[in-house]
Amino acid sequence: MNDTAVSIKKLSYRYRGTEKNAIEDINLDLQRGEFLVLMGPSEAGKSTLAVCINGLIPHFHKGKMEGAVVVNGKNTREHTVSQMAEEVGLVFQDFEAQLFSTNVELEVAFGPENFAIEREEIGKRINENLAYVKLSEFRDRPPSTLSGGQKQKLAIAAVLALKPKILVMDEPTTDLDPISKMGIFDITNRLRQRSDLTLLVVEHETEEVLHASRIALLKDGSLVKVGPAREILQDVELYEKLGLMPLGIPRFFKSMGDTKLPLTPDEAETAFKKAGWKISSEKYEKMVEAEKSEQKALASKEALIRCRDLEFDYPSGVKALRGINLDIYPGDMVAIVGQNGSGKTTLAKQFNGLLLPSSGTITVDGKTTKEQGIFRLGQRVGYVFQNPDHQIFSETVVEEVSFGPRLRGVDKAEVKERVKEALSAVGLEGAEDQDPFSMTKSGRQRVAVAAILAVKPEVLILDEPTTGLDYREQHSMMEMVKHLNESGSTIIFITHHMWVVAEYAKKVFVMKDGLLLLEGTTREVFSHEKELLEASLRPPHFIQFTNRLGKTMLRVEELSNYIVGAKK
Amino acid sequence: MESELYLDYKTAYHKLDARVKILLFLIFFIAILQFQNPLWLIPSVLLVLFQLLISRSVKNLVRIRFVLLVLFISSLVMWNFFSSGVTPLFWVFEVESLMYSISRTLLMLMIVSMGVVLISTTRNEELVMGMIKMRLPYRVGFAISTSIRLVPTIASSLLTISQAQRSRGLDLESGNILERLKKFLPLLVPVFISSIRNTNIFGMALESRGFGAREDRTFYLEMKMGAGDYVILTLGFLYLIASIGLNLAGYGNITGLTRF
Repeated sequence: MNDTAVSIKKLSYRYRGTEKNAIEDINLDLQRGEFLVLMGPSEAGKSTLAVCINGLIPHFHKGKMEGAVVVNGKNTREHTVSQMAEEVGLVFQDFEAQLFSTNVELEVAFGPENFAIEREEIGKRINENLAYVKLSEFRDRPPSTLSGGQKQKLAIAAVLALKPKILVMDEPTTDLDPISKMGIFDITNRLRQRSDLTLLVVEHETEEVLHASRIALLKDGSLVKVGPAREILQDVELYEKLGLMPLGIPRFFKSMGDTKLPLTPDEAETAFKKAGWKISSEKYEKMVEAEKSEQKALASKEALIRCRDLEFDYPSGVKALRGINLDIYPGDMVAIVGQNGSGKTTLAKQFNGLLLPSSGTITVDGKTTKEQGIFRLGQRVGYVFQNPDHQIFSETVVEEVSFGPRLRGVDKAEVKERVKEALSAVGLEGAEDQDPFSMTKSGRQRVAVAAILAVKPEVLILDEPTTGLDYREQHSMMEMVKHLNESGSTIIFITHHMWVVAEYAKKVFVMKDGLLLLEGTTREVFSHEKELLEASLRPPHFIQFTNRLGKTMLRVEELSNYIVGAKK
Repeated sequence: MESELYLDYKTAYHKLDARVKILLFLIFFIAILQFQNPLWLIPSVLLVLFQLLISRSVKNLVRIRFVLLVLFISSLVMWNFFSSGVTPLFWVFEVESLMYSISRTLLMLMIVSMGVVLISTTRNEELVMGMIKMRLPYRVGFAISTSIRLVPTIASSLLTISQAQRSRGLDLESGNILERLKKFLPLLVPVFISSIRNTNIFGMALESRGFGAREDRTFYLEMKMGAGDYVILTLGFLYLIASIGLNLAGYGNITGLTRF
């Protein structure tokens, strides 16, 4: 019996209008029932490979394809994408654009309808699949009223309704908060136990791929390594070399000289105790004190942004903010975290006057945002929107970056100077004449930041600055932001990436349902796992592991430096 | 951000069969074309208002109030240029031409209102179903409903984009028309780009879910005309016949309107 579900032979593909192959000579077989995770840095060709499996390449994207993809005995060249839909289900990263019905039930019905399945059977499939992803109670709701995580679950149910033998998911959790991610991974976990279903998931959150049967690492269009998940995940060096995030736990144990590396917090706790290591309380207390006194020093100045009983209702009647009290001091680096829809972005839009409070007050430097107005306030409080494509419109980087200062009447020579400074701050020297639209996502993100920096704001707000970037890009983006903070800017960033918070924030505000649930230094906040869980958040595995040891360590290096009794 | 045009209420109007609602839209379209004289339009105006109220669609009309206001004023003035009467008022205005422009303006507002009622009370899928049952090909119905669906998506991305550009110091409220138009460029390019991108994913998602996989297709949504539907439809046709009849009998014109 042949139990190969997908067979990829010598597959290469070049998009029309590009000079390089997006994927190059890929050979990969998926066994029936296996769960393969595809990882790799940006532009590695992960999505390209994913859409080859259901035939979007070569049918939807026009380009040059060589080699063959055979799915359940069907060659993708010979079948249209629609015909393949019963074999291969595809879930996209963008959960907005892949839903198009006005109600949850009909969204699930759409696929089976196209295959002329009888009405009664469609009804059965709707019930089954909505129950499977736990959305049964939402069956009459319009998808647009669901949360991000629920939308993605719906997309999965809609695809499963066609009873595909292979399910391909392209970064299904990228835009989701940690607990919604877990919801999706819970589904993935149940799916992988079905022996009739083969799973291929593109993912870059290393912690979430622990359950995969195999991992394939991709770089520059080529397969670098394919192997059992545990084996690959222990290869910390390879992850670092590829620009991917290695797991914190094996990284720590490797730095301690171990060769058999634990992967999960459970395994790590056992291994740590077995080794007989202890954390120096004295050194730890000293570090905690130092952080607290740094916060105190910042708070001795006048607050730059001050909210008192701040409430905000959208015209539709939704209460987005329900009484926020907070102070942000000059020179701080603050993270705002919380579930999708908890009010993070609404709050941040109050800071530069884009939205004005329905009641309560918000002042920037002592004056209310209302009396200052968005035009004047925008000069002092720069706001980088989540999606750089929502602001870029110029044909060259120079034009884009000089747009802000020119609007504000800055003279020509000065504009030129500022553009130069801003571009060097974001690491884009020499890219002046490039077309921003032809740059990578991380490049466009940098252009967007430079465009705001050129106005020389004192406060910089970044809404999800690391979403859609790979680990190396996230790292360098945040290093750049850190530099800005060190040279005096106050930084406020919104994010779902907990490791970014752990690594870069000095202070954290946790939001839930329009209220502040928790605030404190990053270390304090991450020590409250239970409250974080209430806000649908979860610290990275490494921090969970150190919490179990009774100390909250944000970085691998901290822990290794504070250990006593190590045999090194 | 709430951006759906369909309003999820449970009014009697929502419960009407989509075919009836589409036909009512067409019936009113034809019926109100029968009269030149705004006085004769009063019953139709009242009927449209009645439908707006019982279907609770006024909310969607309020959303487009600025567009309506612009249309209202320009139409009230412009029609005077294209029509003339015998009793001069001032400039291009005559009593007859003014009456005519009032009725044309009402006509436009009523058609917009009926369209709003239709879209606010009918799900996209019902609209497609209704059109298919009235013998339109599935793909055509789907295309029409998709373009309606795009409106709120584009509107919400326009909102985000204008916020992003205002944060950068773009002031959309000042300057003359030419200057303002130029200021819209930073809005239009991103709207265009993100729409193209979304449409691309939309297309991929459609095909990946088997759109057009088979010649025939089933529908999960069921549509049945109830007794109420037939009553409303009969009343609708009576109104249409009455309007046409009155027109043919020579009622509803403006005497003294010489050019229109």
